[in-house]
Amino acid sequence: MSSIKHSMKKVGVLLSSTLLLAAVILAGCAPASAPVATPQAGELSGTINEAGSTSVQPLAELMATAFTAKYPKVTVNISGGGSSAGVKAIAAGTVDIGAASRDIKITEPDVIPVCIARDGVAIVVNEANSLTGVTIEQVAKIYAGEITNWKDVGGNDATITVVSREEGSGTREVFEEYVTGAFKKKIKADALFFDSNGAIRSKVASDKNAVGYVSFGYVAGLKTLMVNNVAPTIENAQSGKYPIVRRLYFLTKSVPSGIVKEFIDFCRGPEGQKIALNEGYIPLVLK
Amino acid sequence: MAVKIQIRDLNFFYGPAQALKSINMDIYENKITALIGPSGCGKTTLLRLMNRMSDLVPDTRVEGQVLIDGQDIFEKSVDVVNLRKKVGMVFQQPNPFPKTIFENVAYGPRMLGTNDKQALSKIVEESLKKAALWDEVKEMLNKSGMTLSGGQQQRLCIARVLAVNPQIILMDEPCSALDPISTLKIEELMMDLKKEYTVIIVTHNMQQAARVSDYTGFMLLGELVEYAVTREIFNVPKDKRCEDYITGRFG
Amino acid sequence: MSKISDSVLQPGCELRRVYDGFWRYAIYLFGAISFIILLLIALFIFREGYPAFQKIGIWQFISGLRWDVSDQAYGILPMIIGSTYVTIGALLISVPLGIFTAVFLTDVAPQMMRSIIRPAIELLVGIPSVVYGLVGMLMLVPIIRQSGHGSGDSVLAASIVLAVMVLPTIVSITEDSIIAVPNAYREGALSLGATRWQMIWHVVLPAAKSGIIASIVLGMGRAIGETMAMIMVIGNSIIIPDSIFSPARTLTGTLALELKYAAGLHWNALFATGVVLFVFILILNSFGFLMLRGKNK
Repeated sequence: MSSIKHSMKKVGVLLSSTLLLAAVILAGCAPASAPVATPQAGELSGTINEAGSTSVQPLAELMATAFTAKYPKVTVNISGGGSSAGVKAIAAGTVDIGAASRDIKITEPDVIPVCIARDGVAIVVNEANSLTGVTIEQVAKIYAGEITNWKDVGGNDATITVVSREEGSGTREVFEEYVTGAFKKKIKADALFFDSNGAIRSKVASDKNAVGYVSFGYVAGLKTLMVNNVAPTIENAQSGKYPIVRRLYFLTKSVPSGIVKEFIDFCRGPEGQKIALNEGYIPLVLK
Repeated sequence: MAVKIQIRDLNFFYGPAQALKSINMDIYENKITALIGPSGCGKTTLLRLMNRMSDLVPDTRVEGQVLIDGQDIFEKSVDVVNLRKKVGMVFQQPNPFPKTIFENVAYGPRMLGTNDKQALSKIVEESLKKAALWDEVKEMLNKSGMTLSGGQQQRLCIARVLAVNPQIILMDEPCSALDPISTLKIEELMMDLKKEYTVIIVTHNMQQAARVSDYTGFMLLGELVEYAVTREIFNVPKDKRCEDYITGRFG
Repeated sequence: MSKISDSVLQPGCELRRVYDGFWRYAIYLFGAISFIILLLIALFIFREGYPAFQKIGIWQFISGLRWDVSDQAYGILPMIIGSTYVTIGALLISVPLGIFTAVFLTDVAPQMMRSIIRPAIELLVGIPSVVYGLVGMLMLVPIIRQSGHGSGDSVLAASIVLAVMVLPTIVSITEDSIIAVPNAYREGALSLGATRWQMIWHVVLPAAKSGIIASIVLGMGRAIGETMAMIMVIGNSIIIPDSIFSPARTLTGTLALELKYAAGLHWNALFATGVVLFVFILILNSFGFLMLRGKNK
């Protein structure tokens, strides 16, 4: 009995969150549908607290800076903590906005995700690497430990240093979903693991045999590889040609209103999306 | 009577302060020489110069000579480590190492390269016998040296010195931390030791100097005021200051 | 007689007793607070970690070779071994170096050098962990990589970085215990014709032994607990290292890497890792303090 009840409840949660997700995606990973009448400057006041994904954090901080420049009476506090912490915080009501760099899992509490930008994940190597492109399957095999030498994918004869993000990272989740998971493979245990885009960048930049994956915003100083003959550019990601892309979300507990709504709309509007583009994120499709 | 140590025009400075002023002194072989005088007169300083323990104090300067068997110990060619093996020292506070009784005595010979267990045992036994401690500790050689009484510890330290086979033994107030009975034992021991060794003792205790020593030097403010056969110093002191000190008028 | 008992019963005396009692209890309270904080932390870690022990089983958790969150496989043996190797490696470097440095400072160095070197070593304590990690990552790791042994992120790199980090602990406690060795021991040895080196080796160091051991144990506690610098230079691979050039992962590294995204059993397993660490360090530190107390007796 109880197990049936339990699974029924699970289904309910699954349904509701899927519906919510679908609604959000439909409504929009396009910009805010009904343009709000821009309020008079100085009209808005109050404090917004945001916490969650560290991948969203730098973008959210820039958006908040622009927002508070426009509405000086508003204070926006942005902090990190990770996607899971973001979900927990918004569910517990300790913040006004949560942030997540991955889809919300069915095991997690009910929250309302709103996409504020997308982020591409690029496969990166050292600038000294002669390779220009790989297939997704080759990347999956490299990460699974089935290919261990660059010469097997057309490069020099050298052992590959495989560099990955840690378990639970949003970047890693999207990588696992589109790359290793697509070929039912797992990232090998003897890969090197680091806990930030920055750490991966410095590792790959200093080791000429390394391969890693980072957000588009972190490819400076590295060589990006074409994947299945598609270069990891914002245009290719926006057009859907480049496959390894994830969504960045703001989370609210209920339908946003007041200054929280104003801030989210600002982020999703032209001003916010311009910031996203400048920082190497993939903006929502603007009309 | 052979002279073992000749001290010639010895001046010694701690930084700018002069601690010893042109000391001249002959110390005789197989005799006990006592150095007496009030605190701070330089007697311990003089004693510690004879095996160059004075080197341990930074910022000091020596002028003049200390000749042992005719060899100046301050010459550059002199190996201070060898010098100290030849000139042993017993300190005011008994200072056995935190090791067993056996290891305390065996320490010196071990450093000199004796590692054979039997040879060491022999040296330890002989040294302890010479230091009149053997009968008291022969059953407990593996106990810590720290468990002994103060007087026993001091004799252990003497045995430790004897084990490296020195020629001269310097004693810096060796009985000042001991009770009268232990003091008496050490004094008896000294009388034995002078048969084989040259002994120099610094003491505050004038009865002790009178009892055990053959020669006595009286020092004051860094000078050797009077130096003679002990009997003479105590009976017919030539210098007024020496007489005052011995009769207890100051010090 | 009567005068004395009168004065004892004076009201002013009563007030003083209350005042005195108040401060006594206030001090007890402050003392108790730090203990209570420790207790609460322990309680929290155990509470969060307990479900993992329950679901996985303590033995399977400690002896398991696989840590794969997507498979819900949680075994921390590779991390236990990783932490142990790095700690041993660090001590192999820092203990001799630390003891020699302490001896150098107390018995060899001229005053001038002492007054430069001692503050320099004490300064090492104040450098943030991340800076050590960065220096290790940008200088040490490339050097090891260029020597031709793998990627450079390795037990060796971690051990070297950690050795520098625990050096001040070992130097300062060893130095204190060497200074505490009575000068009479030194003079005794020297007067027997010991060279300075023989004196230090045979007399001074044995006399300072318990303090030195305490410094090693406390250094070990610090080594096991160190996180930030470690995750930057050790590679964090979940494998049992087969050489000093192999990458590895430490217990604390796992916590630092994964905690911010963890949920559910993963979360509990990370706290269970914390419990294991907590017990490890508790045992080590108690041992270290017992040694220190033994010395002071």
